[in-house]
Amino acid sequence: MAMQPMEQFQVKPLAVLEHPLFRIAGHDIYFTNQSLLMVIVALAASAFLTLAMGGRRLVPGRAQSMAEMSYEFVANMINSATGEDGLVFFPFVFTLFIFVLLCNFFGMIPGSFTVTSQIAVTFALAALVILTVIVTGFARHGIGFLMLFVPKAPWYLLILLVPIEVISFLTRPISLSVRLFANMLAGHTMLAVFGGFVVLLGSAGGVLSALSVAPMALIVAIMLLELLVAFLQAYVFAILTCIYLNEALHLHDHH
Amino acid sequence: MSAQDPQNLRELGERLDEAQRKRAVRTTRPPPTQMGIAFRFATELVVALLVGGALGWGLDWAAGHFGVRTKPVFLIVFFVAGAAAGIRNVMRAANEINAEVAGSPPAPAVRDDEEN
Repeated sequence: MAMQPMEQFQVKPLAVLEHPLFRIAGHDIYFTNQSLLMVIVALAASAFLTLAMGGRRLVPGRAQSMAEMSYEFVANMINSATGEDGLVFFPFVFTLFIFVLLCNFFGMIPGSFTVTSQIAVTFALAALVILTVIVTGFARHGIGFLMLFVPKAPWYLLILLVPIEVISFLTRPISLSVRLFANMLAGHTMLAVFGGFVVLLGSAGGVLSALSVAPMALIVAIMLLELLVAFLQAYVFAILTCIYLNEALHLHDHH
Repeated sequence: MSAQDPQNLRELGERLDEAQRKRAVRTTRPPPTQMGIAFRFATELVVALLVGGALGWGLDWAAGHFGVRTKPVFLIVFFVAGAAAGIRNVMRAANEINAEVAGSPPAPAVRDDEEN
């Protein structure tokens, strides 16, 4: 078991809920470990923010200032990337940020499951972002939103540049989702591999057993790094959302 | 006492500004790590290549569906366009990171030197 570092990413129905919940178009829908973690994350986020802000004290306590800090953090991020009118999207970006952040952090608990290590989940989030960008763009600028693909250049270069811009736009949902997914997958695989080393060395006996301290120390270090990555990736996801939204809101009009 | 008040107030104001500045530094941007930057550039490049190639392949397939044999042409053209788009993405990402590190409002600055 210790030697199967990819096993942790298996999506499987919960042991207590072996039967499918319902059927859609011939597919059985199960309540999996992934669904469970997402429910936990959603509940934890709602509970924390509600309870922390419940007191509404003028001088915030520890929990309340944490909630306020996360609010300010996201508000600053949106403000600096999109300006005042981007704040309409505060609820959207805040929810995304907190969800991704908590999914990453809950995944760090040994024995739990990392929702964001599933490309299906991250791609669904990224697709949601890009759809929001497209809808906002067309709602704001009508058909003029397509000018996003037309950079300032002489017309004969546009024949080349427009397809390149279109491809560049199409890569966004994919790079957005792949970045988060690959970071989480790589980090957790690395942890599991080094965990396997600890078990192997520890059970080897003799001098080798004593050596198992080395990978253990490394795991501690990687764990710290992964905590940083967990936060950073949630931040990158949110800030890129803001940057894309900014383009949909303002096109090229800052010239 | 009352003559001193403006002085005190000014000092208080200065201390408040100082505190707010410190707080702003703490609550905004975390510094991008080297690994994060490298990873970001790598994904931008690779993904653009894949998307370009997939688009070309899809167009070839669609053309073949309508009886026009273009087989490798679109794939090749769009693969190259994908490479170009990837480089464009990396330039864009580099500009974003520069703006982020500079700590100034990123969006306008980035777009301005990028389009010209």
